Formats: sequence, C-alpha cells, structure tokens
Amino acid sequence: MRRVNRAPLILAGVWVMTLLVSLPLTLALRETLAQHLGSSLAGDRAASGVDYDWMQEFGDVATGTAVTFRPTILGFGAVLDNLSAFLDDTTRPVAIVAFASAYVVLWIFLAGGILDRYARDRATRSSGFFAVCGVFFFRFARLAVVQGIVYAFLFGWMHAWLFDRLYPNLIRDLTVERTAFLIRLALYAVFGLVLAGCNLIFDYAKVRAVVEDRRSVLGAITAAARFIGRNYAAAVSLYLLDFLLFLIVIAAYAAVAPSAGGIGASMWIGLMVSELYIVARLWVKLVFWASEIALFQERLAHAGYVARPEPTWPDSPAADAIG
Amino acid sequence: MRVVLILLVASTASAQPAALSPRNANYTIDATLDAAGHTITGSEVITWRNITTRAATDLQFHLYWNAWKHDRTTFMRERALGSGGAANQPQRADADRSRIDVTSLKLTSPATAELTTQIHFIQPDDGNADDETVMAVPLPQPVAPGGSTTIEVKWTAQIPRPVARTGVIGSYFFIAQWFPKLGVFQDDGWNCHQFHSHTEFFSDYGVYDVSLTVPQGWMLGATGVERDRRDRADPADRKTTTHRYYQEDVHDFTWTTSPDYIERTARFDHGTLPAVDMRLLLQPEHEGQADRHFDATRVALKYYGEWFGAYPYGHITIVDPAYQSGAGGMEYPTLFTAGTRWLAPDRVTTPEGVTVHEAGHQFWYGLVGNNEFEDAWMDEGFNTFSTARAIAQVYDPNYLAVRYFGGFIPWMFRDIVLARETAGNGLASYRHDAKADKQSTPTYGYYSPTSSSITYSKTALWLNTMERWLGWPALQKIMSTHFERWKFKHPKPQGFFDVTTEVLGRNIGWYFDQVYRSSDVFDYGVQDLKSTREQDQYRTTVVVRRYGEAMFPVDVLVTFKNGERATEHWDGKDRWTLYAYDRPAQALSAEVDPNRVLLLDVNLTNNSRTLEPKGPAAATKWSLKWMVWLQDQLLSWAFFV
Repeated sequence: MRRVNRAPLILAGVWVMTLLVSLPLTLALRETLAQHLGSSLAGDRAASGVDYDWMQEFGDVATGTAVTFRPTILGFGAVLDNLSAFLDDTTRPVAIVAFASAYVVLWIFLAGGILDRYARDRATRSSGFFAVCGVFFFRFARLAVVQGIVYAFLFGWMHAWLFDRLYPNLIRDLTVERTAFLIRLALYAVFGLVLAGCNLIFDYAKVRAVVEDRRSVLGAITAAARFIGRNYAAAVSLYLLDFLLFLIVIAAYAAVAPSAGGIGASMWIGLMVSELYIVARLWVKLVFWASEIALFQERLAHAGYVARPEPTWPDSPAADAIG
Repeated sequence: MRVVLILLVASTASAQPAALSPRNANYTIDATLDAAGHTITGSEVITWRNITTRAATDLQFHLYWNAWKHDRTTFMRERALGSGGAANQPQRADADRSRIDVTSLKLTSPATAELTTQIHFIQPDDGNADDETVMAVPLPQPVAPGGSTTIEVKWTAQIPRPVARTGVIGSYFFIAQWFPKLGVFQDDGWNCHQFHSHTEFFSDYGVYDVSLTVPQGWMLGATGVERDRRDRADPADRKTTTHRYYQEDVHDFTWTTSPDYIERTARFDHGTLPAVDMRLLLQPEHEGQADRHFDATRVALKYYGEWFGAYPYGHITIVDPAYQSGAGGMEYPTLFTAGTRWLAPDRVTTPEGVTVHEAGHQFWYGLVGNNEFEDAWMDEGFNTFSTARAIAQVYDPNYLAVRYFGGFIPWMFRDIVLARETAGNGLASYRHDAKADKQSTPTYGYYSPTSSSITYSKTALWLNTMERWLGWPALQKIMSTHFERWKFKHPKPQGFFDVTTEVLGRNIGWYFDQVYRSSDVFDYGVQDLKSTREQDQYRTTVVVRRYGEAMFPVDVLVTFKNGERATEHWDGKDRWTLYAYDRPAQALSAEVDPNRVLLLDVNLTNNSRTLEPKGPAAATKWSLKWMVWLQDQLLSWAFFV
C-alpha cells in the first residue's frame, strides 16, 4: 500500500485513463438519451428522479451500446451487474467489448512503467516512466497473448463446462433452491480459484520480467510459477489479503452508493462518490501489483532492486516528475 | 311414524345446499401413483348430462398428457416457435416424456356398450395427425338434450418430467390435467380443442369425488377437502395411503404429493364475506414465508370478494411448489400454486404477486368459467387487472428487484417503484407486442411467443383505461355484474360487452372494436409547441397528433409560465388538431392525456413538449450514471492484465 500511496500520480493517471476510455461511449449515450427525451416532460421526470416508464420505453427502441442502459446501472446494482456478468460470463455489446479491449491494451502498455516505478520505489520522471512502458510493452504484449489463450480457455471452455454442462446435471433433480445455490457457489469457487491461480502466475511473471529484466515471456511465467511454488503460503496469503481489500471496497460502496438523485449538486456529488469508488478499485488493483513486487523483492532480500538500469531519455522541458 | 319419516326426509333434502352450478360433468376417480415408476393407473366414472339444445352423437375427451409424447405434437411445435425452432428446444429423454393411454372405455348407462375399439384421435384445430390430445368415440345412441349418460374409463399414464406446470422432479409430484376429461358440449357441438403451448383449459362444472393412493407418510393436497384417509399395503407390501377428496361445483381437479411438504393452516375472516379455511403446503426452505402466503391470499379473497363477489367454497389450498418443479403460478379450482424464492426481500412482491394472482383466478377462471382456449383474456386479462389493483391496495410501494449470480441473489432498487398502471398491467410487454394479434382471434390461434402480451397485458391495460375513463364505481359495477351473471357458467366476450352496455346505459362498442377486434395501437403526441411574443401578448400554438391508428378522446393541457392552465377536450379522431392562444404569458408546456387515462398509449415520451426542456440535463445525469457502470465494467476487464 505504501508504494502505491507514494506514487499518487500513477493512481491519478490510471483513473484519468479509465475516464477517457469511458467518455466517448458515455457522450454517445448521452446524445441518444437526449434525443429520445427531446423536449418532453419525461425529461423533467427523468431529471428529478427515475422515470421507469421512460427507461422501459427507451429500452424498447435502444440498439447497440444503449441496450445496456437499464435500471441495473443504478447505484450498487451496477457493481453487482458487472460482478455477476463476470462470474456468469455474460456477453456484452460489441462496442463495449471494443472499448474494453482498448482499455486492456492501454493497461498492457502502462504495466511496465507502473511495475518499474513500484519496484524502484522512488520517483521517476514521466520520460523515464514512459520509456519503461515502451521497453516492456512488447514483452507484455507477448505475455498478453499467452494470457489471452489461457483466459479464453477458462471462460470459453472451462466456464461453459462448469456452468452449462456440469451445473445443470448436478441440479437436475434438485428440489431445494438453497442447495442449488450452494452448488453454484462451489462452482464459482472452483472457477475463481483456477482464475486466481492463473492471475497470480501472470502477475508474478510481470513482476519477474520487470525486476529481473526478463525478455522471455515463457521464462518469466516459469519463473513466476517457481516462485509461487517456493513461497506458496506467502504469495497466496498476500493475494487473499489483497482480495479482502477488494471486498472491503465493494462493501463500502454498497453502503454509500448514490441513488438516482436529481440534477445539479446532487448529481455531481453522486458522481464524485462513484468516482471515489472507481479510484478505490484502481488503487486495489495497483496494491495487488505493488504488494506482489514487495514480496518478491523481500524474498530476494533486495528491496528496491531492479536489474535493468534506470532508463534515460533525452531531457524534455515537458517532462514532469512522476511522484 | 311414516309421516314423521317423510317430513324428516323432506327436511334433510331441503337442508342440502343448492347446486351452485349445472353439475353436468361429474367424475368419480380412483387413481394410484407409482412413485418409483412415475406412472398413474386410474379409473373413472363420468356422469354427463347434455345441457344443450342438440343431441350428442359422440363424446370427445382431452388427453392433455399426450402433448408431450414426442416433438411432433401441436404443443411441442408451437413451443418451438418461441425458442427459434425445434433445434433450440431442450432434448427430452423418453423417460421424461409423458403419455396417457386409455385402456378401456364403456358406457354403463343408459345402456351398456363397450367402446374401447372405437376410440380414435381427432385434431379439430390444425389437422396435425401426430397430435393425440383429443380423443373421440361415437355413441351407439345419441344423448338427447336433457339426457344423461355414464361412462367408465380406465387408463394408465406416464408422468413427465415437469412441463407446462405438471410432472415429477425428485419425489415432488404435481399432477394436473391428468385424467381423461370431457370437452364442453355446446349448441354448436363439442368444444374440445387440442392442447396448445400457450392456452389453458375449458370444462364443464360438476362434482369430483376422487380417491388417490400415494406412498404412506407423503403429504397430499388436492382440489376440495379430504373426506377420508385409509392406510393400506399393496400386494408388493408397499405401504400406501388412499386419500379421498371431494368437491362440488368445480370444473377441474388437481393434486400434488411429496414427502417434503410442511403444512400450515390459517383462516380468512371478513365481516360480510364467507370465512375461508386456508391450507398451505410449503417447501421447508420457505418456512419463514408462510405468513406472506396467507396474507396475500387474504388480500385476494378480500378485495376480489368485495369488488366482484364472494368466494363460496369455504376452503382453499395454497401450494408452494418445489424448486425446478415448474408448477408455480397456476390456478385450479380451490387450489393454486404460488411460487417464491429462497431469498425473497420484503417490498418485492414475490411471493405476493403470484399468490394474489392465482388466488384471484378462483374468481376469474374458477367461478366464471370462460373458455381459455378461445378467450383466455377473459380470465387472464381480467385477473391481471384485478391483481394489480389489489396489490396496489396493500403492497404499495413495491420495488423493482433484479436477480444476479445465476438468478439467486436479489437486489432491490429502491429508486424504482413499480406502478400499478404500467408495471402491474404489463405495459412494457404490450408495447413490444402490441400489433402481434387481434385480441378477438381465438387464443389458440395467437402467435405463441407473444400471446401473453395480448392475453394478459392488453386486457389489463384496456380495463384500467376504462377505470380511469369511466371511474371505478362504473367499472366495478360492470365487472361485478358480469361476475354475478356468469359465475358457474361459460361466458363469451359478447356477454361482457352486453353487460357493459347495460350498466353504462350506452354502447361503447367503438372502444371494444379497437381494443378487442383490432390490433391497432394508440399513440397520441404533441407534435409542436410554439409560444412567441406578438405585441403585448404571446401567441401560443399547439399541434397535437394522432400517430396511431386507434382513436380515443383525450385531454390536452397547456400550461403557461404565469401558472395559467388551459385544458382542451379532443375527440382524438382526426389525424391532428391545433390549439391557439393569445395570452399575457408564454407557454411552458403542452401535454396530451395529462392524467394518463389512455394507458394503452404505446409512446408516452411523445405525449408532451415543454419550452424549458430538462431532457439534456436528464441525459447528462443518466449518462454519468451509466459511465460509472461502464467504468466498473472496464475494471472487470482490467483483471485480465
């Protein structure tokens, strides 16, 4: 946490990135909503609260990304909707998949710089930060190919097998809903464990690639697995602690998630609270990486050690210090 | 002494309650469940009286369970329509299918005749030779008007895995539409339709005396009340219990049995309505929801009783069906299935909505016995309207809930109150399918995937529109008169329209021509609103347009910035009309149908215009909310980096 907190601009940067990626679709949706509302009094009702009739009417004519504009976007429902979609492998509209893919690519690009910053645990200039991003982008892009294959297998085959084949067979003759739910929970746990295991390996592969300046992706993955195998208890405990942080953030948002509200100040306050939640989620993601780096370095007894020399870049007057 | 005896007999006879219904189709049934083999072996004696003006030369029976015999039946073909074709239908193993085979059929009165060999199947609706859901047998002698006949039928049936609210899962049995059952003989002949995927049933009223043998120790619930119970052991030393249930003046008989049910009882008491003993057969995991089931049943008995007429039977059985039994949300005489979930938050009307609805069917279906094959809207639509009205009396506000994580975890959206007029009546569903069918098309002829929108939602919306247009006292009188006139009978649509004319003292056939005999939609809107300064006044013009084909008189409300309001009454017949005003203040807004009388209007957003629109601000607010959802979605994807 300390390493993440000492580099607030990274957190701010990924938040801005998240905001920027979400803006084009948001603006497009805003235009569609505004057109549908036109100058009707439904606009007044939608402005002051929820006009569920209008939402349903809009939903009837919505196409593309706009079909996701449903009551489930409201408050904490939005989080549940996404978590549920993640665990149940729900298909999203093409435009959202496209933007999400672009978002993933941006993360892949930034990952090297972020991990390097946390590994060195000292401030660097933006030039240096982006230089490292560039250095590791292609390595992480290759890693992403491996990750893509693994995750595609998990969601494409394993998830389908667990939830579309095994689950219906397990509950086929059940007459008690609670039992069916417990079975589903168990399958979520199985799927989640495999997913988390892969995620853990890929995280440490990135960590080792950055800290040890590894060029071979397969080598980094193997080394990551070796490290986790040798430090199983610590790596898993840390991952669980990080996951606990995630749950705390989710629970906190469940308590304070804004309701529909009106326009004006309440709208902006609601947005601020929601964006704080988004920032907290990003912070948790960065904590995962930073804590894994710290563990790796601690086990190597080289805190702050990075094999690669700090990259230099021609000085630029535009280069700002990254805190 | 003889005089005393005669008096005693006469007095006993006069103490018998008078028959409430024609009782022209009476069944004495004896059936045994083989719980392990999933079969029923039964025999029945039917006493049928011809209450029409024509002689019956044959008998026609429903054999509903043959609908799931194979995939070529009319039921299965229609069901495939809704899922994009037979290939998308879940495959059923043979053991999961069902069939009903009549092994013997003979007349025992007025003459004896063995008719088994003359049994044949007919397909009056579509000629599908693969459909064996209607069985016919010629009579050796016609049954003259007023005449009676007695038939003995024996059959065996394979119980399906749950389909269309009947079947077996685990050791849970819900047994409906399960015995060979006569169609309804009318002045134009037999009304005995094949089983369709989106229609329900139609039968004559009678007395049911049914003995059911099931494994010992299993709870059993059925139409009527239990009169006798005897334990026995069969030749294979399987311990069984025979339950005898009896009910007069009903048109169907259904039962359920399971070793897992828990039983609760309560009573409905009311100052002016008859008391009703309520029996609840509950799943153990829903034990904490017993009171919710009873309360909702009380709501139906109270409000339907007060609004339409009393529930006369004195007892009712509420069945909470097992998970995955597919038996939930269905009505049968004196017994209905509700349906709830393990997690059922308060202020979300599960199980209340379905409980009120199915209890309400005791009135619209049970007591007023319309033909559900042809005019399903007369019970389903009337009941959807009545349910929404009753729910609004007691469970207001209630909220939208969405279920996540495989549909198990409910989340209630406290911002979204479900309104009776729209959500309760199913406006969203109707809007989507408004032009799918004319309501006057026989229900079995509706396009299967959209039939419920026309049957349930459209009717509820046009009845609620009548309430808002004519007032509840008028509509209540129409519905209660219709109820009183047609209880224990088989009403047709014209019967309801005639009652409407009689009660109102005028004919509103033009309304029924549109909502019942056409698939036209209502859509009024404000096309234009201008308000410009001309000298010392503002010239305001409002153009109101009829976008849909259907017509209805509507009000137009124009509001001015100084608070003045002008209300116009437009007959709504022309394609458009213009209103102009010269007023000291500028107009603020114009709205057609401001009181939302016409609930069938399929586009409410175009009903108004304002010169100070907040649409852009609302769009900003809602798009920002959506943005947070999107960002959260993006973070899910970031997991993969």
